[in-house]
Amino acid sequence: MTDSDNDKTSLKSFFWLWGILTIVGVVLGLYGPSHLMPKSMSPNMHLTILTMVIFTVAAAPVAAGVYAATIYVLRNWTHKGDEPPPPAKPVRENGIIVATWVSISVLLTLFLLIWGLGALAEDNASASSNPLIVNVIAQQWVWTFQYPGTHVESNSLYLPEGREVEFHVSSDDVTHGFWIVQMGVQVDANPGVITTIHTTPNVLGTFDVRCEQFCGLNHAFMDALGDVVTPQQFSTWLAAQPQRT
Amino acid sequence: MTTTLEHTAVAEESQGGGLARYQNAGTAVAGGVLFAFLFWLIARKTMDPTGEAFNDQVTTILGCGWIIGFWFGIGAFNGPMRWLLGRDHSRADDLYYAGHNQGRARYWKYTTDHKVVGVQYIIVTMGLLGVGGLLAMAIRTELIMPGNHFVNQQVYNAFISLHGMIMILALIVAIAGPWANFVMPIMIGARDMAFPRLNALSLWTLVSAASLLVAVAAVGGLTMGWVVLAPITDQNGVGMDLFALTIVVFAVSSTVGGVNVVCTILTMRTKGMTLERVPIFVWGAITTSALALYAFPFFFLVEVLQLLDRNVATSFFVSGGGGTGWLQANLFWLMGHPEVYVILTPAVAACFEIAAVMARKPVFSYRTAVAAMVGLSGLSILVWAHHMFTSGWAPTLGGPFMVTTEIISIPTGLFFLVLIGTLWRGHIWMKLPTIWMFGFIANFIIGGITGIYLSDIPIDNQLHGTMFVTAHFHYIFVGSVLFGAVAALAFWFPKVTGRFLDEFLGRISFWLVFIGVQVTFLAMFASGLKGMPRRVSSYSVIFDHTNLITTIGAYIIMSGMLVLLGAIIKSWGHGEPSGPNPWHANSLEWMVPTPPPLENFDVMPVITEDPYNFREEMVRS
Repeated sequence: MTDSDNDKTSLKSFFWLWGILTIVGVVLGLYGPSHLMPKSMSPNMHLTILTMVIFTVAAAPVAAGVYAATIYVLRNWTHKGDEPPPPAKPVRENGIIVATWVSISVLLTLFLLIWGLGALAEDNASASSNPLIVNVIAQQWVWTFQYPGTHVESNSLYLPEGREVEFHVSSDDVTHGFWIVQMGVQVDANPGVITTIHTTPNVLGTFDVRCEQFCGLNHAFMDALGDVVTPQQFSTWLAAQPQRT
Repeated sequence: MTTTLEHTAVAEESQGGGLARYQNAGTAVAGGVLFAFLFWLIARKTMDPTGEAFNDQVTTILGCGWIIGFWFGIGAFNGPMRWLLGRDHSRADDLYYAGHNQGRARYWKYTTDHKVVGVQYIIVTMGLLGVGGLLAMAIRTELIMPGNHFVNQQVYNAFISLHGMIMILALIVAIAGPWANFVMPIMIGARDMAFPRLNALSLWTLVSAASLLVAVAAVGGLTMGWVVLAPITDQNGVGMDLFALTIVVFAVSSTVGGVNVVCTILTMRTKGMTLERVPIFVWGAITTSALALYAFPFFFLVEVLQLLDRNVATSFFVSGGGGTGWLQANLFWLMGHPEVYVILTPAVAACFEIAAVMARKPVFSYRTAVAAMVGLSGLSILVWAHHMFTSGWAPTLGGPFMVTTEIISIPTGLFFLVLIGTLWRGHIWMKLPTIWMFGFIANFIIGGITGIYLSDIPIDNQLHGTMFVTAHFHYIFVGSVLFGAVAALAFWFPKVTGRFLDEFLGRISFWLVFIGVQVTFLAMFASGLKGMPRRVSSYSVIFDHTNLITTIGAYIIMSGMLVLLGAIIKSWGHGEPSGPNPWHANSLEWMVPTPPPLENFDVMPVITEDPYNFREEMVRS
């Protein structure tokens, strides 16, 4: 064991460790979320993934600092054996350290808040005054999508690319959770209430709708398929659907 | 007081106790079963003789019968009834109730001695963790691959609901139950808790409530998740009524216990034991208890209203009748978020205590530690709606609740400052409690940071309701609170039993559980990021690898917990003798003999400084 009363114990290895772990965290942050999360098909999802990356990069030095300090403590100041080590030099207060620590956490929290509130405003901002309205009706354990203005009703969600969609979500029985996985939007489907979310699909291709609120026996199987198509294909599809009477 | 209760009452001892001489857990169960049957019979004959044998009303009344009969059987009503009849407890009676000279039998009785209650809480916690753990293994076994293989969806849903509820109960009492009862009164220099009989009441109401959860399974189970929010609860069978009753009684138990802890710390401290000289764990005990006093009445309320909705056709939470499920969601989370800190704070405080004693150094910035715990508790009552970001309820409140939630990271960060500051340049004695305490630090940073993601609404709009959330709070509950609980157990085990918790088995257990937690929950984060919802009995094939890894990790955790159980059983009877002060600490619980005598102190100690001045002369064995 290192002589633990030696105040000259070099902090160099601690800073090395901190730096290396921070780099590991930053790399994880840059590659992890975008690699693991579903491909983005809307500005909301893009913003979600970006925020994940930013937060992970911002958190990396904090977590790395705690890990580096813990490892450093374990390497330098531990004692084994059945006899207790002698008392260590007491340090009861260090106002400068506490003030520094609090200031840094306040600054980091402010950063998170400013970024988060900005992202929230962007998330909520409506891109268009003339969105496509889609009524989403949940029931155990099926999704139904209606396109007001037409009499079309479908169990798959077809959306045109590039146009804002406003979902009016409700439920026929219990609370469900309407979630478009690749677009990063969620809202509960409640009986007797209409909740709304909006997003703008910006990538062509299929996507998943899942229920994210526990809704009983077959909750695990309450999925629907979705497809983002070109506006022309969308009109063609809409016209070709059987009309609900 | 120069003569203690014990000395004056020896002669009368043989007459003490009265009815309590014949009461124990056995008569409690018998009383519960008898009353439940009688209540059921009367309800059925008088209310609806031709209806179902177990409809909502009849089942609720049956549950009330169990609770009341259990309380009669254990002796909870003896004291008040004797007071009413003008035959209040004599000293000999009090001595009998404190479990004097009753050997092991006192652990099965309505015993008022705080040390007996503490041990009873250890047993109850282990029982709950055992059942909840088996359910967790059943869940992970079902999720080993996509599709339903071992159990059907209905049984699976019952498993996740009971797993959630039992583990929440277990963790609420896991640290505050045993240690705020066993060691806290000795730490502050008290002969017992402020209200010894309420202490017994708190323990046995918990037992009566927790055992009702078994009955829930017997009457068709709870299959709607432990959060059980309307309107889906309407679809649950009568198990829902017994579940609601369990929570009502549990809220009584935690309120009684919380009042007792708060009053004890505020009024029972010995001479010189100022609030700045109490061991830091005492601050953890009082903040967690005070927060419980705020939080659990909401739980009580929400389940009482639920029972009314189900049994007498009110419609507080029924949207068709003018109520709303959002009312219930708000009330539930008004309880639900403070409750998380009711669970976490004692673990943090125990780790502070262990860090200081084992590093042979005072708690770094004691006042910061106090401020962080109090500040966290205060903030935690202002953040509940972050559980409802995606509910569609009051979207405009998203911003404010995001702000309050993210501010919580400031006091949480201070926990790390205090821990690392205490350990820095310490002389850290690497024994079992120290090792589990380090595990707490490593896991808590991951649990804490992933919570920040979820407090951010654009991220929550994607990750809410996914396995990411499950992994996040399991890093807190398993990775942090369970590690803190085992650290606390290893630390104070010698005071309870006079023996060390087996160091070798304890270390094996640590490594298994620590590695298991990383494997299980890191893979679960990946499942959640990929888009796997929570509470599902099956999943898309794209999640198969991460789920397989999670299940393997869960088995590693289980093997570690079994090793720990083996260590506890082995050490309790045959562990290495520890003596009264194995860690060479200064706080009062280590100054009394092991096991501590009834009423703890012959002469009341006078305190002149806090317990963290470790001196050379302390280190003699």
